[in-house]
Amino acid sequence: MNHIPMRMHAPAVRPQKMTRRALAKQQTREKVLQSARDLFIERGYEGATIRDIARAAGMSTGAVFASFTDKNELFDAILNDDFAALVEPMQDAVIGAANAREALVGMFGAAYRMHAHQLPLIQAALAASWTRTPEAERLRRESMRPMRSLVLEVLERGVERGELAAKFDLRVIADLLWDLFLAGYRPAAFDGLSVENQTEKLAERVDVVLAAVKA
Amino acid sequence: MAGVRETQKLETRRKVLEAARDLFNEIGYEETTIRAVAERAGVSVGSVFTTFASKADVLSQVMDDRVDALYAELEHVARHMRGSVVDRLCSLFAIHYDFECRRVRLFLAHIAASYSPSLEPSTVPYGRNARFKDMIVDMLRDGQAKGEVRDDADLEIVLDTLMAAYAWNYRLAATGRADSAGMTDIMERQIRLIFAGLQPR
Repeated sequence: MNHIPMRMHAPAVRPQKMTRRALAKQQTREKVLQSARDLFIERGYEGATIRDIARAAGMSTGAVFASFTDKNELFDAILNDDFAALVEPMQDAVIGAANAREALVGMFGAAYRMHAHQLPLIQAALAASWTRTPEAERLRRESMRPMRSLVLEVLERGVERGELAAKFDLRVIADLLWDLFLAGYRPAAFDGLSVENQTEKLAERVDVVLAAVKA
Repeated sequence: MAGVRETQKLETRRKVLEAARDLFNEIGYEETTIRAVAERAGVSVGSVFTTFASKADVLSQVMDDRVDALYAELEHVARHMRGSVVDRLCSLFAIHYDFECRRVRLFLAHIAASYSPSLEPSTVPYGRNARFKDMIVDMLRDGQAKGEVRDDADLEIVLDTLMAAYAWNYRLAATGRADSAGMTDIMERQIRLIFAGLQPR
C-alpha cells in the first residue's frame, strides 16, 4: 500500500509513566489499527475480516479482540482518528483564506485531498452512517463537532467583515454546507472524479448557497 | 402456454419483492437473508435467484416498484400544482418525505446500499432516479420562464444542491431527531435560502 498514513505515526500523547504492560497494549492497538486501515482501504469494510486483519498485524484474532470488541468498533476508531486528523489542515485552509468562499472551498478541498487515497474507506463509512446505532452516531457527531463549528465560524467572520448579510440563520447555512461537503464524496467514489474536479464541483454548490447571503 | 409461465414468474417476483420490502423495513437490510425472504414469500431460495442477481438487486427492484406508483401520480399532479416555484418544490419534497417515512428504515437501507462498491449492473442506486430529477428541473425551468429564477442560473447545479440537501436531511430521521414533518420544515428553509440567491437581479 502506498497511501499516505494520516498522522497515524505521530506519537500519541502518553502519560509520563506508563507501565510496560500498558505500553505493550497500546502498541498492539496501534498495530491492529494500521493493519485494519490498510485492509479496509484495499478491500472495503465487508471485504476485510478480523482474521485477515490479525494475520496482517502478525497476531492472533484473540489479541485483536482484546483491544476491540468487534470489527465495527475497530472501523469507527479508525474513522474517528481520520476525522480528528482533518481539523488541522482545515484550520490552516481557513487561516490563509481571503474570504468566506475561499475558506469554505479551501477547508473542504483539504479534506477531500486527505481522503483521496482511501476512498473505499470513506465510502464504507458513509454507507454505514445511515444505519448506525444512536451511540455510535453520537460519538461520530462528537468527533466532527470541531469541523462543523469551523464552518459556522467562517460564516460569522464573513458577516463581521460585511461580506455576508445576516438575513438567514447561519446555523441552517452551516449545516447545509456541511451536507453538501459530505455529499461531494459520492461523485469521487462513483465517477472517479479527481480531487480538483471534486473540489470544483463543490465550489459551484457553495456558490449557490452563498449567493443568497452575499451582502 | 408461455403465458402461464410468464404469469407464474411475475407472481413469484411480486411475492419476493413484497416480502423483502417488509423484512428490510422490519429487521433491517443487513440482517435480512435471501433465505428469510424466500420463506416469507413462500417460494424456494432457488427461484429468488432465478429472478434476481443479488440481495442488492432485490432492494433496488423494491425501491423501483415503490416509486413507480408514486411518480405516475406525481407527474400528473405536478402539472396542476399552483403557487410559486418555491411553494411547489416544497410540496414536492414534502410528499417525498411523507412517502419514504412510511418505511423509513427501508429507505435508509436504500441510501446506504448506494455507497456499496460492488453494485450489480442491473441495480439502480439511490440518486440515479431520473424521474424525480426531471420533475424538479421542469419546475425550475418554469420558474425561469415566469421570472422567478434568474435566467443565467445553472439549473443542473441548483438541482444537485437541492438533491443533496433533500437526501442528507434523512440523517435526521436516521438518528431519530426528526420525522417527516421536521424534515419538510428544514427542507423548506433550505429551499428558501437557495432561492434567495436565484432571484433575478
